[in-house]
Amino acid sequence: MPEPQNAIARVDFHQGTLRLFGVTHRFVEQVLQSVPMVWDDREDCFRSDAMFAPAIKEHLENALAGRFDWQVGRDAAAEDFDGVSIRDRRTIKLREDQIEAVNAFTEGGGRGLIVMPTGTGKTVVAIELMVRLGCSTLIVVPVRDLMYQWHSKILEASGIDAGLIGDGVHRVSPISVTTYDSAAIHMPRIGDRFQLVIFDEVHHLSGAWRRDSARMSIAQYRLGLTATLPDSAERLAVLHQLVGPTLYQQTITDAAGEALADYSVHRIAVRLSDEEQERYRDLGRVIQQFVADQRDIDPQFRWDDTYGLSAATKEDPERAQAAIAAMRAFRMKRQIEEHADAKMRILEDLFRLHYDEPVIVFTGSNVMARKLSTRFMVPCLLSHCGKRERRHWLEGFAEGHYRVLVANRVLDEGVDLPEVKTAIVLGGLSSQRQAIQRLGRVLRKGSGGRRAKLYEVVVEDTNEVTRSRDRRRNEAYRKKK
Amino acid sequence: MIRSEQSIVEYDFQNRIVVPDRLRRASDADYVPAAEQLLRIYRGGIGRPRQDLHRAVESCLSQLGACPPRRIAAFCKLLDDQSEYDSKRRTAFELRRKLFDAAADFHPIVQHREGIFEHELHDVRTKVAESIGRPWSEIEADLFADVLELQRLKSFDRELSALDLLSCYNLAQTQAALYKATRIRIDATQDLKTIIKHAKLAGLMHRIDIEDHQGTRRFRFLFDGPQASLRESTRYGARFAALVPKLLSCRGWKLSAEVLGPRGQRFLMRLSPGDGLRSPLAAPEDFDSSLESEIDAAWHAAPVDGWAWQRESELLMIGQTVMTPDFTLTHQQRDILVYVEVVGYWTPEYLQEKRLRLQRFTTSKITSTARETTVRWLLIVADRLKPEQQRQLADLQIPIVCFDKKSKPSDWIDALDLESV
Repeated sequence: MPEPQNAIARVDFHQGTLRLFGVTHRFVEQVLQSVPMVWDDREDCFRSDAMFAPAIKEHLENALAGRFDWQVGRDAAAEDFDGVSIRDRRTIKLREDQIEAVNAFTEGGGRGLIVMPTGTGKTVVAIELMVRLGCSTLIVVPVRDLMYQWHSKILEASGIDAGLIGDGVHRVSPISVTTYDSAAIHMPRIGDRFQLVIFDEVHHLSGAWRRDSARMSIAQYRLGLTATLPDSAERLAVLHQLVGPTLYQQTITDAAGEALADYSVHRIAVRLSDEEQERYRDLGRVIQQFVADQRDIDPQFRWDDTYGLSAATKEDPERAQAAIAAMRAFRMKRQIEEHADAKMRILEDLFRLHYDEPVIVFTGSNVMARKLSTRFMVPCLLSHCGKRERRHWLEGFAEGHYRVLVANRVLDEGVDLPEVKTAIVLGGLSSQRQAIQRLGRVLRKGSGGRRAKLYEVVVEDTNEVTRSRDRRRNEAYRKKK
Repeated sequence: MIRSEQSIVEYDFQNRIVVPDRLRRASDADYVPAAEQLLRIYRGGIGRPRQDLHRAVESCLSQLGACPPRRIAAFCKLLDDQSEYDSKRRTAFELRRKLFDAAADFHPIVQHREGIFEHELHDVRTKVAESIGRPWSEIEADLFADVLELQRLKSFDRELSALDLLSCYNLAQTQAALYKATRIRIDATQDLKTIIKHAKLAGLMHRIDIEDHQGTRRFRFLFDGPQASLRESTRYGARFAALVPKLLSCRGWKLSAEVLGPRGQRFLMRLSPGDGLRSPLAAPEDFDSSLESEIDAAWHAAPVDGWAWQRESELLMIGQTVMTPDFTLTHQQRDILVYVEVVGYWTPEYLQEKRLRLQRFTTSKITSTARETTVRWLLIVADRLKPEQQRQLADLQIPIVCFDKKSKPSDWIDALDLESV
């Protein structure tokens, strides 16, 4: 075995990377060839992403029989880093499919993805793994609301008041919860503090900047949870590389009937008022005229080029100004669709129909959510709500004090809502993923067994109908017989 | 600083150069009265919701011909940066709670009543307004006053002029162009210490080359971060941007940045004092610690004949490790240079790190711009420093003086023990 250059090789954690001092190039080539490392002449050391810490440690142990200085994770309040005793206060028992997922993860080496539809208890699986592994854990979630939700679930399951990193709070403790964006920002400083990282809604990790939250962590155990794996093979490969292979997969059709309630979809198309229709057409004409004009200049012109054109105020001020006007018209068309008066009337009727049961309404924008909230005098959950306010509305809704809860995309993914059998989606700009996750909210298994109902309210003869049709093609929207 | 989604740049694909948006006195003269108008909107807009102010800004700038939406958004951000808004966090929630509680028994609230369980909107509004004790119009206006775009303006900067605002805009666009930079290079002949100090404060790593350029010594700094050796990353872009206002206060520098453009293509961005950017809001240069400013004041109160006292004028290097002593004392006739380092009260880790650094720089061969033959070190420590901490520094074997209110600069010179020189 080759000898390192100096008597003692030393490894430390440096802003989300690992530095390896005191070894020769030959040593690295022979002992650490499987780890991507580069020589950094700024500090006379070798450097790698922190995520390779477990591999580097293993190779050094094999090659140097413990004669090296491992200073990684030393700031982590060492006793907490290795063993966190998590008292098990849970009262629930895991379902068979949840146990399968837990076992698949453990047998898969503690690194990988678990795919389960929303509403099947991914959090239950994750908490079981936290209890079993008993080590420092960081949970990474897409939005702040989920951060608080995980915090209270951990408190409930173990009595631990987990640390929070994000939403203006920076309290790092051996069990902590953070958001993807905060994780990407803070990982250079906290990446050496956790042995297990749980990526909730892991498809968010594949974005270029957010990848750093996985790369800059030394965590040996990595769990990715999601209802839907990314469609793109490239993005999936990124998740496999940063977290691990897909270890367990359950589709929504597997889960329906067992874990999820039965449901039906009702689409309600509303018409624009005459006045709205007129404005809508006028705006449409502005856009058509703009596109026609642009095609005269450039036959290859496509609508997607408009945004780029609007910035060219120096080179081509006239075209830029036309592009700005066209974009404004486009935005106003969307606003007419979204705020169509008829939607208010339909909502009124649906509230009449379901006046004695809890109803959740999803809107496409915060403005619309506030409009409904003011008109019907019912609470809305928006990103401006603090922790206390959110809890207040959710509890009041669960108790039946408030009959309606209005929500925007904030609640799209994974945020737990009280069990409802009726939900209304007001046409917004929904991608396929959003539709599935939204559907998950109303599909939670209830006790009554009555079919859950999902109303979709869209404007007729506009783009919204097309978007809804696209959505319904998806498996999750196919009506059950 | 503005957000990246408010950034406007022009790519020159031929020469691979990226140029940030810039308003110029000659070609954009109509922006001066427009900026005056914007300031009037904000100064006269106390009590108005943020979204109203933003709409007013938009309609003002839209009259200037093709003003891109990003430019409008950038001006809104810059104006908001000089504003204070009322967040209304608690009171708005209280109002919502009162309203939704008062209305809970009236669900569903409809325009025209048809069934026996229904309640008409008009009646409910009257009833809830009564129970809350405020007219409905007020309730409606305040219900979401805590939401960002509905928050009301509380105060706005009094000093800012129209030209200042335009300078802020130009600077902010240049900074925003750097958000997508992967590394920057600064060639400098002066103010080296300021550059390296602020790069360090911004958490950047450096690589320094010294070259002779037309008879003068030029330092070439390459700044990026730890991850840069592993992959091209825009992670440090905001840090480069933060460095720009400091750089503008320096002389004799040239910056070039590698910027990632469309489809991952690399572009070059250049900046130098010749571009005439200005930072109207830059804070005056201050000392690292109050101790340093006290020591500086003590020298100026009783300077010693023959000695010149300068702040942070030297950059010392061993390999890629740099050090910049807090002060230098030079005696031209006797050809003596003294590096003066100040040690205040800090954590044990800081002290240890400082000791190791000093040890290295006082005993090794260092590269610097100094030309004097005799070079000495002097340590000025705070009298608050604990005795055992002072002892730790003693084995550096350089003169140490203790600083208190009675401390005289002539004692510092005496401590150097320069009789033999």
